[in-house]
Amino acid sequence: MAITWRTVALTALGAVWVLIWPVALTVVAWTALVVVLVVLDVALAASPRAVEITRAVPASVRLGEPTTSTLTVRNLSRRRLRAVVRDAWPPSAIADDRPPGSPLPRRGVHTPRLTLHAAPGEGARGRIPLLPSRRGDLGVPFVAIRALGPMGLAGRQAKIPMHGRLRVLPAFVSRRHLPSRLARLREMDGRASVQVRSSGTEFDSLREYVVGDDVRSIDWRATARRNDVVVRTWRPERDRRVMIVVDTGRTSATRVLDGTRLEASIEAALLLGVLADRAGDRVEVIAYDRAVRARVAGASRSGLLPTMADALAPIEPALLETDWAGVAAEVRARMSQRALVVLLTTIDPATVEAGLLDVVAQLAQRHQVVVAAVADPELERMRTTRTNIMEAYEAAAAERTALGHAAVGMRLRRRGVEVVEAMPDNLPPALADTYLALKAAGRL
Amino acid sequence: MSATYAPPTTMVGDGTSTASRARSRWRRSRGWVAIAAVLLVGGIVMILPQPRTSGEAYAVDNPGPSGARAAAQILQRQGVSITTVHSLDDALARAKAGDTLAVLGDRYLTDRERLLEESEADLLLVAFDWYPASTDVGIAYGASVTSTVAAGCSDPDAQAAGTITTRRWLRVPPDTDATVCFPRPDDTYWYGERTGAYVVTERDGRRVAMLADATPLLNGALAEEGNAALALRALGKNERLVWFLPRAQASEGTADIDMWDTMPLAVPILFLHGLVVAVVAALWRGRRLGPVVTERLPVVVPAAEASRGRARLYRKMRSHGRAAAALRAGAALRLGTRLGLPRSAPAPDLIDAVARASGRPPDMVESLLFGPPPPDDPHLIRLAQELDHLESEVHHP
Repeated sequence: MAITWRTVALTALGAVWVLIWPVALTVVAWTALVVVLVVLDVALAASPRAVEITRAVPASVRLGEPTTSTLTVRNLSRRRLRAVVRDAWPPSAIADDRPPGSPLPRRGVHTPRLTLHAAPGEGARGRIPLLPSRRGDLGVPFVAIRALGPMGLAGRQAKIPMHGRLRVLPAFVSRRHLPSRLARLREMDGRASVQVRSSGTEFDSLREYVVGDDVRSIDWRATARRNDVVVRTWRPERDRRVMIVVDTGRTSATRVLDGTRLEASIEAALLLGVLADRAGDRVEVIAYDRAVRARVAGASRSGLLPTMADALAPIEPALLETDWAGVAAEVRARMSQRALVVLLTTIDPATVEAGLLDVVAQLAQRHQVVVAAVADPELERMRTTRTNIMEAYEAAAAERTALGHAAVGMRLRRRGVEVVEAMPDNLPPALADTYLALKAAGRL
Repeated sequence: MSATYAPPTTMVGDGTSTASRARSRWRRSRGWVAIAAVLLVGGIVMILPQPRTSGEAYAVDNPGPSGARAAAQILQRQGVSITTVHSLDDALARAKAGDTLAVLGDRYLTDRERLLEESEADLLLVAFDWYPASTDVGIAYGASVTSTVAAGCSDPDAQAAGTITTRRWLRVPPDTDATVCFPRPDDTYWYGERTGAYVVTERDGRRVAMLADATPLLNGALAEEGNAALALRALGKNERLVWFLPRAQASEGTADIDMWDTMPLAVPILFLHGLVVAVVAALWRGRRLGPVVTERLPVVVPAAEASRGRARLYRKMRSHGRAAAALRAGAALRLGTRLGLPRSAPAPDLIDAVARASGRPPDMVESLLFGPPPPDDPHLIRLAQELDHLESEVHHP
């Protein structure tokens, strides 16, 4: 049971009678009248349980993109249904109603409510706008429905357990870097007008010479056999294996700017995965801390991005120390040939000492290893601001941290490992560039 | 990535019936019901055997030494009905002709003359400080010791009692026909003024008795001497006894006007109505549309936290040397990289290269990059800033 503002207004209206007959009995009598009307209204309300509710919600949506949850309520009772309906989405599914740029913290979230009217046997439909603010699986456990009486004073209320799920995929903002990297890939490929032969390319085909082709690529033997001048075309090596390991251990939980390290790692993994896939390589992705949290393997060419986004969407940082030996075992089990192994983690000296270095050294003997880490812009800001004594100490501390990172980077490079350290926004393109450079150099 | 739709989920009702809802409601509320029941029963148990006693002096339900429950119980057993009143109006209304009106103390009795004039009952005035003028009795006064005194008069009650104990006395003018009993043995007053503990007089056919001290009536001294005899005889003269304990009246006088009395009548009623509206509004706002939805929130650990902690440690330990070493090493590493020197390049090479690139004298560069640790905070700040300047002056060669 629940009452509405109308009941409050009706009760307040009794003040008129109190002014006319200022005795306590007036208040008692008016209150009794209100109670009788409320009870009557509740008795005349349609049952909130005699309804058939259907919820239609997208299986997945990209982070930051608006979507809707559609509720259809069919009235199975013999009375007219006047319902207020709430679809119980968690706060992060609902658009922030603060004005943009408001300095106030987000307080409550006003869940949108639907007001639906349905005659007996008929249905009504309402849409709830959603704007997810966090990646992952958003669950909705129930629908609450309040059926009001004909006077709108009060109503009956029920909670209908109805589980729903909306998978919020990573935003993949780094996809804007994809066209330029694909263009670079085509330059390396024979399809581009400029042909480059390097150690990382293999013979593709012969075709007729057109003006502008490099004369050095003319295949004289083939030309001699035919009337036309024939050139050889080259293309980068294909069907290389790429293994991307996303570290979901405790270091991935730390916050850099607005997101965790894991968010930047996922962005980088998505961009690299798509790029490598377009380049003809076979991509495999795992998310690992002490066990495999997500795995993408053997996805078809066109389906790789959706599969990857779907697999990486629900992973969350685990507050565990990453088991690097386990990562090595996983890589060994999956990659029998030489492969490009990309570890998306952090190069904090403590973590590196804790096992990353040994494992990387081991892996580097067989594979080309790239360690990609998210750098902290806050650290850079601390390092360069030096106006008072606290800032001087902070600059020193930041310098010490940076020196530690530099030393670790040196040790990794000495073992033949490529190290990419970049700010969260720059990590995906930097990693993609490293990949292209390795590919051009034939080091895959 | 276009939004793919999951198959819609449908639910009819919430899977409950009226009976199952009633059961779950009972399960949820039975703890509260049990608590309410315990409170209710406990409250009743606390109220039921209420001992109906009070600590008020002279009260008939006060079992303490200053109460009068003993005398009252004896009288009730003898068939005397006792009514306690607290205001003069009540006392006058209850005490009819042929009853006894006992007035205990006059501190809160403002209208003594009215009591005497309007009362139709026999009066027993106990422990008054000022007696009504028409009783022919002057003021009462106290003595420091408790005296045991003999009747010394012709009043049958006094004679039956023989001796009583008292600490106060009544002064009676010489030319009255009041009977003065229990005279003060060491009476030293002049002009024939008499002093006694108990004075009996007649007025308009009613008996008016005055007892200087309430001690003979009270539980504490009832068993002493002949106190009980005097008390029971004086109080039990008639079938009905009205026990008047004057109390301070809040509404008496002009100083204690109630706040509500000055307002129009509608205001307190409107206030009551406002309370009702507030309760209804609370019920309206208090009912949620379904329970609160919980959400797992991520841990927030700023990445620079560890470095900040290190900075605070540096500061706390005042390790200027360590901080300066870190600043210098960082600057040297960047300068070396920028100038194309290998990491293993010796210090003189670096100093040389930096001096050439920045145009500063080599010994100045050396003292900046490899000088002694700064002795205090201001020197550390200066070093940090000068290293910054040096770095900004060095460009690619």
